[in-house]
Amino acid sequence: LNAAPGRASRQRVRFLPAPAPGGGGAVELGGARVPVLADHPLVRGPRFRKLKIGAGHRLDVKASGVFVLGIGRGNKLLTDLYNCHLTRVYTVGGLFGKATDDFSDTGNLVEKTTFDHITREKLERILAVIQGTNQKALLMYSNIDMKTQEAYELAVKGLIRPMGKSPPIITAVRCLQFALPEFQLEIHCLHETQQYLRKVVHEIGLELKSSAVCTQVRRTRDGVFTVDDALPRTQWNLQSIQEAIQNCQLKVETELEKTLG
Amino acid sequence: AMAGVVRRLLRRGLGVAAGPSSTRQLREAEEAAPVFQYAGKAARRKDRVFVWGFSYSGALGVPSFVRPDAGWKKPRRIQPTPYRLETEEKISSAACGYGFTLLASKTRDITKVWGMGLNKDSQLGFQRSRRDQTKGYEYVLEPSPIPLPLEKPQQTRVLQVSCGRAHSLVLTDSEGVFTMGNNSYGQCGRKVVEDEVYSGSHLIHQLKEFDSRVVQVVCGQDHSLFRTKKGTVYACGWGADGQTGLGHNNITSVPTKLHGDIAGVNIIQVSSYGDCCLAVSDEGDVFGWGNSEYLQLASVTETTQVNVPRHLPFKIGKIKEAACGGTGNVVLTEEGNVFVWGYGILGKGPNLIETAVPEMIPPSLFGWSDFSPDIRVAHVRCGLSHFAALTNRGELFVWGKNLRGCLGTGRMEDQYFPWRVTVPGEVVDVACGVDHMVSMVRSFT
Repeated sequence: LNAAPGRASRQRVRFLPAPAPGGGGAVELGGARVPVLADHPLVRGPRFRKLKIGAGHRLDVKASGVFVLGIGRGNKLLTDLYNCHLTRVYTVGGLFGKATDDFSDTGNLVEKTTFDHITREKLERILAVIQGTNQKALLMYSNIDMKTQEAYELAVKGLIRPMGKSPPIITAVRCLQFALPEFQLEIHCLHETQQYLRKVVHEIGLELKSSAVCTQVRRTRDGVFTVDDALPRTQWNLQSIQEAIQNCQLKVETELEKTLG
Repeated sequence: AMAGVVRRLLRRGLGVAAGPSSTRQLREAEEAAPVFQYAGKAARRKDRVFVWGFSYSGALGVPSFVRPDAGWKKPRRIQPTPYRLETEEKISSAACGYGFTLLASKTRDITKVWGMGLNKDSQLGFQRSRRDQTKGYEYVLEPSPIPLPLEKPQQTRVLQVSCGRAHSLVLTDSEGVFTMGNNSYGQCGRKVVEDEVYSGSHLIHQLKEFDSRVVQVVCGQDHSLFRTKKGTVYACGWGADGQTGLGHNNITSVPTKLHGDIAGVNIIQVSSYGDCCLAVSDEGDVFGWGNSEYLQLASVTETTQVNVPRHLPFKIGKIKEAACGGTGNVVLTEEGNVFVWGYGILGKGPNLIETAVPEMIPPSLFGWSDFSPDIRVAHVRCGLSHFAALTNRGELFVWGKNLRGCLGTGRMEDQYFPWRVTVPGEVVDVACGVDHMVSMVRSFT
């Protein structure tokens, strides 16, 4: 960043002594524009010494995926995005047959169970019920009076969402892959933590009269930012970052306009 | 000296050092762990019955709600959320009346029908009291077997039951229809006896004379409807609102065939609960007769009582199922859309109180969205002032007036748009009553 051409230095008009056009030793004052010495790069030093970087929604050590960062003035946009309460999408991988104490496959084993009675149909039924109860929680925590006409209209459009603090809510679940003992789910959720998602995988295992652990948690969308907008490790350089910021600006603005008005 | 002893023990290897075991040790410990089996490959899904609503009439079938079995327990007047009812057999058909419930099973055993709730008009048959052998119970708190006078009790199967205000109908596969309960308007299909005492009566009447086998029985408030295999509809009972559809407003005590707009039409479903009746034909047309004070039939006529079946010319698509409530009606089309009309809380917010023309309830309220586009409503049911809808995923949605907790949502407020009821299982069928509901549920795994 500091290598990029910086601000042009200020100029000021100074009256400098210059030799007179005539001869002799007479000195005349001539006006000239000279750069101000205080703005000289060697005096000023590097332009950027610190950068304010803020992080978006938390992503813990065992998970991976999209992680939103704000730079400088973007930190204020981060707070606004948080207040929009947008959903996040995760791809969660699970494994039947084991139960561990921290619900992931690296924890201490608690129990092993059989899983040959599990079919994709049973799993989808459980997912439908999870979606149903979370839908109810969505409506209840949104603190809207159910008896009003506007509550009915928002419910029809599907726009009822808790706009304040609430426990984690799953808005949609879908089974992407099912190959015993492994399975993969796509989970859309609000106000969640990755450990909560691992707990959900464990509870699905319990509900199916077996046990399950979570092998992978990957965030594929965080609000308006998807995996396509995200920069992989090889592209963590200034050029890509600047391009990415410019591409997302429009999206972020429209979303904030729509939700916060 | 102690330190010396410990050091010697450690050197001999008797004290094992506790520390992080290596990956190999962990893996071996895991593989050696025992495997538990909670459900085998042949585990079957279980069929259960859940009840909720007003319990003091005994209609829920849980005696401890009315008479607690321990001194410190309080009687539970209302069960606001689904409560599991233990039954001996798999229940295939259930019906809720005005303060009582009938449960029927397709078994070949002698006991095929159980009843609970109000029995002041012997709508649950004669339930011999244990204290006084000559009298019967007026309130039955537990599902009690109803003795049906069958000719071949170990071969006949009960197909369906239906309950009205104070009478009930039981449909069998080979022995016709059995009726019991109040007959002051001829709703049991037999001649009205003046000053008959219905309480503690042993009389169960059998009806066999129809043009073909009866395949569906429906009870209105004080009238009965029978649908036969040929697609004809018979009715008997009170007719002051024209609900018998026989062209007059008098009492009918013998089941008589209906004509009007349904003459010659193959009817595939009939429905009634209050004083209005609806019938669906195989071509997707809906016919109505009976009470029209709440605009149920206002699309064809201004009169408030229609005593001849009239075709309701709605342009909403082919209709698959219809259900009548006390003041509102609901139909389900082939595409899976739900239309409501009538008076009361219809399910489109507090602003829609009455309409004569059917209004569609948006499918997004039943869980339909871009994420799950194949959710459809499979069945619709009606109670006296509330509605229920079952989706193809087995979810139950209710809306309407929450009379004494009959909606099962856990709250006591009325519900102005469809709301999910949390039932631990896939809901297969639901029966709605005045202030209670019964559902037949299959467990998930």
